[in-house]
Amino acid sequence: MDFRPLNTLERRQLVDALRGNAESDRAILMDRQDTSFVGVVDEIPDEEVISAIKSVPCHY
Amino acid sequence: MFGRLTGAAKALLTDIRRTFQRWQRGRNPPLPPLINAGVAAIEPRPAQATYRPLQRVVLTDGVSRTLFEEYEAHRREEQGQNETGWMLLGLRKEDEVVVLATLPAGAHSDAGVAHVHFNQCAQAIGSVIVRQAHRGLNAVGVVHTHPGSLRHPSDGDYQGDIEWVRNRRGQEAVFGIGTIGADGFEPVRYGHQPRPNVQSLGEMMLSWYALRSGDATYRPLPVAMTLGPDLARPLHGVWHEIEEHALELERLFRQQRGIKFDVLQSAEKPGLSITIPVAGPEGAVQVVIKDHICRYYVLRDGDILLADCEEERVDRGVYLLLAELAHAAVADRQQSW
Repeated sequence: MDFRPLNTLERRQLVDALRGNAESDRAILMDRQDTSFVGVVDEIPDEEVISAIKSVPCHY
Repeated sequence: MFGRLTGAAKALLTDIRRTFQRWQRGRNPPLPPLINAGVAAIEPRPAQATYRPLQRVVLTDGVSRTLFEEYEAHRREEQGQNETGWMLLGLRKEDEVVVLATLPAGAHSDAGVAHVHFNQCAQAIGSVIVRQAHRGLNAVGVVHTHPGSLRHPSDGDYQGDIEWVRNRRGQEAVFGIGTIGADGFEPVRYGHQPRPNVQSLGEMMLSWYALRSGDATYRPLPVAMTLGPDLARPLHGVWHEIEEHALELERLFRQQRGIKFDVLQSAEKPGLSITIPVAGPEGAVQVVIKDHICRYYVLRDGDILLADCEEERVDRGVYLLLAELAHAAVADRQQSW
């Protein structure tokens, strides 16, 4: 079995993906063929958008 | 004597351990933190993107059309002197915002000649619907109109907006002001930009600004246009239905996992469809709202059954139907026992 260290970019993306998943429930995408990590979906949570909309002040 | 000897031995052991660790690090570079540490111990770095002050706002041609067309339509209405506006959804990039969808203030907004407070419940549901297929969209700004010629947000606007932008990505948002009057420019029948932050079509003008948390005032923001849709435009055809049932729809959205909203196009008038999955093969409850009429359907094994339910409150109708289905399922199981 071969173990290849991740390069800097791969490592950074994976760390960000895990952090986003742990803190904000963001999805982590996986390659269907070999289950390797293929990035994240830049999702904005519904609650963030709804909260922003409901807090728009009155305009004059 | 014995104490000094023990101390010297400890120091020697520490030196040996450090030397060994240095040698080991040189031989085997440290494993990535993912393998040798928990997620919480990973080097500190914010997961969110870096945002710089906005340099421009980019509108799709679809969004620009919506703003000018609906502004024009609003002016022709009986209440055309009242202020109106749109919530803007889009993508916050590093130093620009791309606006991809507009949510109208709504007929149920609180509006007069000197103020407008959007129908936020309807806009919240609108955002849920448009974001079903576009999860990256966020609230990036607000457009509202002034009946006079003030092409700049007012002091009253600033008081609210400066608080609102604090919780936006990059702590900044885009603000558009719609006015009538060419302000010295010759009105033309095609869209043009008399200034970098101003769009003009006929007598209508849209002036664009950015406001960042801590700013003392709004900053004129250059506006650019690109090809693209207004992703929320199909919703505008059923905005009446959304406004009428916004609270019920929001309740259903929060309580029912997998709920799906669709706009049903038709030759006469579009309708709003709400589909709630239920247990069973291809099972779902579907509600179609058109004008003031709500029709309830049960989808099962490819069949569509019209339910005898005349409930006007959508959430109540759905739960009555779900209760009926649950009752029928229990009865079926008892028969099979």
